[in-house]
Amino acid sequence: MDRTAADSGLRRDQNILLFSVFAIATCGLVYELVAGTLASYLMGDSVTQFSTIIGTYLFSMGVGSWLSRYIEDHLLRWFILIEVLVGVVGGCSAPLLFLLFEHIASFRIILYSLVGITGILVGLEIPILMRILKANLAFKELVARVFTFDYIGALIASLIFPLVLVPYLGLIRASLLFGIINVSIAGLLLYRFDEAKPFRRSFSVTIVASVMLLLVAFVYADRIMTFSETLAFQDRVIFAKNTPYQRIVLTRNNRELRLFLNGNLQFSSADEYRYHEALVHPALHSLPHAQKVLILGGGDGLAAREILKYPNIDSITLVDLDPAMTRFFSSNTMLRRLNHDALLSPKLHVVNSDAFNWVKNSHDSFDLVVIDFPDPANYSIGKLYSSAFYEELHHILRERGIIVVQSTSPYVARKSYWCIAHTLQASGFITVPYHAYVPSFGEWGYIMAMEQYTWRTDNPLPTGLRYISNATIKDMLYFPPDMSELPTGINKLNNQALVNYFEDEWAPYIH
Amino acid sequence: MNGPHTYTDGHQPARRTFLKQIASLFAVPFAVSPIAACNTSTDNRHITGSMAGANAATGHLLRTGNFPAATKTLDTEILIVGGGATGLSAKRWLEQHGQNNVLLLELDKQPGGNSVAGANSVSAYPWGAHYMTLPDTTNTDLISFLRSAGIITSFDSNGLPVYNEYYLCHDPEERLYINGHWQEGLVPRFGTGSTDRLQTERFLKETERLKHAVGNDGQPCFAIPLDTSSADEEYRRLDNITFDQYLTENGYTSRYLRWYLEYCCKDDYGSTLHQTSAWAGLHYFASRKGRAANALSSAVLTWPEGNAFLINALKHQAPDNVRTNMLVHNLELTAGGVLVQCYNAASRSCTTIRARKVLLCTPQYITKRIVGTLQYPASAPSYAPWVVANVTLDRFPASSGFPLCWDNVIYGQESVGYVNARHQNLGHLPGSVVTYYLPVTGDDTLASRRSIRELPYTHWRDRVVQDLEFAHPGIRHRITNIDVWIWGHGMVRPSPGYIWSNARQAARQPIDNRVFFAHTDLSGISVFEEAFFQGVEAAKKILQTS
Repeated sequence: MDRTAADSGLRRDQNILLFSVFAIATCGLVYELVAGTLASYLMGDSVTQFSTIIGTYLFSMGVGSWLSRYIEDHLLRWFILIEVLVGVVGGCSAPLLFLLFEHIASFRIILYSLVGITGILVGLEIPILMRILKANLAFKELVARVFTFDYIGALIASLIFPLVLVPYLGLIRASLLFGIINVSIAGLLLYRFDEAKPFRRSFSVTIVASVMLLLVAFVYADRIMTFSETLAFQDRVIFAKNTPYQRIVLTRNNRELRLFLNGNLQFSSADEYRYHEALVHPALHSLPHAQKVLILGGGDGLAAREILKYPNIDSITLVDLDPAMTRFFSSNTMLRRLNHDALLSPKLHVVNSDAFNWVKNSHDSFDLVVIDFPDPANYSIGKLYSSAFYEELHHILRERGIIVVQSTSPYVARKSYWCIAHTLQASGFITVPYHAYVPSFGEWGYIMAMEQYTWRTDNPLPTGLRYISNATIKDMLYFPPDMSELPTGINKLNNQALVNYFEDEWAPYIH
Repeated sequence: MNGPHTYTDGHQPARRTFLKQIASLFAVPFAVSPIAACNTSTDNRHITGSMAGANAATGHLLRTGNFPAATKTLDTEILIVGGGATGLSAKRWLEQHGQNNVLLLELDKQPGGNSVAGANSVSAYPWGAHYMTLPDTTNTDLISFLRSAGIITSFDSNGLPVYNEYYLCHDPEERLYINGHWQEGLVPRFGTGSTDRLQTERFLKETERLKHAVGNDGQPCFAIPLDTSSADEEYRRLDNITFDQYLTENGYTSRYLRWYLEYCCKDDYGSTLHQTSAWAGLHYFASRKGRAANALSSAVLTWPEGNAFLINALKHQAPDNVRTNMLVHNLELTAGGVLVQCYNAASRSCTTIRARKVLLCTPQYITKRIVGTLQYPASAPSYAPWVVANVTLDRFPASSGFPLCWDNVIYGQESVGYVNARHQNLGHLPGSVVTYYLPVTGDDTLASRRSIRELPYTHWRDRVVQDLEFAHPGIRHRITNIDVWIWGHGMVRPSPGYIWSNARQAARQPIDNRVFFAHTDLSGISVFEEAFFQGVEAAKKILQTS
């Protein structure tokens, strides 16, 4: 080998190494930004989240740099190995955090552990790389070049992250893509350096397997969260899951959490207290001797939270179709804070079953039945508002018991609202219609149903309510002319009158 | 189901699917065209399933006629042969009218005839007849059966029946896939022209008039049971021309309207416009005059398991002395009654039954083989072969236009579409089962019968998938299982000239007041109401002659 050839070989090797400095700097900063963004998506309060994530990350990088002194030889081998590890851990961090969000009570521990591990690995990279390059470059040159590429990489990352990655790929795919780039760099080094020959074969397997893993995750990222869907919501989607029954989506902004089922808003944490206080208290405060309550739907535990404010209640049965809903609302810290751990109350018993058949076959009886189904937007939900269903309620309702039904908006869907009232009447109940203003929903309707008129408006209410008072209750009974009663058909299984009204009335509101 | 064998195709579908998915992963970044070349048969390999069917093997023993000598003898007052809706209706009637020494023999493993049902972990589902229209309030025998079975829960102040709302077909009832879109209702509207709409309106107006038309004998022109229809020649002569001829003569040229009418004929009779008599074609529209306190006269009663629900109600009201796996192969008149030879397909032994009277509720192609030396004037009607498939899906895919209904028809197909077995379910479970119906309408029924029996399971599986894919692209991936049932003689066809023929009348006449006949092929229309009527009328005759 003549001298010029050896020189150009060396220069090429240098260039590859310096290119990898640039690439890993970009990847490292992308992981950091992904973690910071994700933390503020999922937990809110972006200033705190970003500064704690950046702090943890930089500190871990320091730890990594310090640890590099324990690595004595086989530098290239170590460097390639660390590259692969950073790629896998950093690349998988976003999908992992999204997946674990619903299951893990102490989400922060997982989050900071992932950030810490990634930081340590990234911290190891530069010192080792500098030691590899040391043999070929003067110290002055070495420091200048390495840090130049490091900072250029950081600049590129901080520009493409907000401008390209988040808007076009989404967090999950961005994190996975950079994982793939990271591992590919490891592959490139493995093939370009003769020193890597002894372990080339065994490392190739690891690298191919890692790329495959990341690629599979990249392709199936939509199963974790449809990226296009994140664009459909006004706020950031922090959780999305397809269950066999529905699509659950949770979004948040600085002020509130919002839950959507199949794209329909179920509550906003900012004003759900109005909806749930109005759902529960008018009926329950009138039943001072009530002991047993049945909730149909309401897997978010928010109605249960209101019911548990009455010490006389000693048993709540909550029937919700979807185990994923009740699991989510009984394990996630943020949601448990919202429902005051209602689903974990020893008084509450969750049944994951369909409400119609459960009621039909139940031998139990209740003082209060709270019906909090989604709006009758399709034919299978429409059956749960039918006369056949309401007739089944007679046998589970105790004497002087009350049923309360969430009944869509009497302002937007006036016919639908009164159709529910008339269907309850046709099924043998006396009805008390009322409505409340819930800012995120608009004017919202409820109907109480009972076998005899035993309802009172003046019993004491639990302390600490923010919306309902005895005066509010009286107010809610008045229907101004634009929401007042009008004639409708009865919703039966064989005509589904309600679904047809509902479709007509809500159609202009759906863009 | 008759000895199902699970189809595996000799491969391991699970692993193949997995490998394919892995392969497709690598294809994704390079895919230019979303249209992948797909070979239907290999793409359907993940679907499990088998052939089922009525017990043709035992039935075909009648052709060879080699049976062992009888080893046992039994006595009964009345013997009913055939446990379909007709036989069970007759048995119930006899027992409820004081005759408690009745024995019923059924060839299959379970009674039910073409109202049998199956079930899996997702749903119960029908293998044949699956609904009943609301009966006329004058059909008092049937009304009282429905009341006793809890299908009618009470009567309102006007005497109108109140039907159990769990059994009335829930809304939405029907949709049609036409011009790339699901529309509500089966009468083609989406993308049709004004001539089509005008002719359809004219036709429906005419049948509405016929609904209320009364013949010169004061009887309704079109009634169920059809034997109660008017004998007025002005209407009866319509039985001698084909429905196709009638439509042409009356200027109904719209292809959409004719498609719809042919769909109706295929759905109820298994026959085309050419194979159906005009009287029967009109009867479909003009005979449904049921009234109810809580439903429209067009309403239907249906259950996840189809008419097996009615069969079980009949059985429940006359539960004893039903023997299955019993093939009657000969009968002869004796001094005291009738001597009947039967073969037990389970124990492979023969029994002689001494009955005072015998009621044969068997189709005539069977009847003529078991009456032995008796002179039986079989009327030789035509029978429509049917292929029925129950398709299990892990999730029913969303579709554009009107949502999933009870009855879902695809315009222009040979099949009459599919019925959602879970439609009447109240709960909301992820899986679903749909029952796909294909009438085989070839004019040479013997040849079609033979050919559908010879085709392998994979043929039917791929056929069903292909038909469903037309309206639901990608549905194959949601399908987990398809079971297929071949009905060689699915139902009698009301061919021109059959219903009001003398042959039909002759074939119903009892022999020596000892051997009686009842079956829907002696009516000409294969619906539950006719079967019930046939059974009850025969039972009444038996009681009168005692």
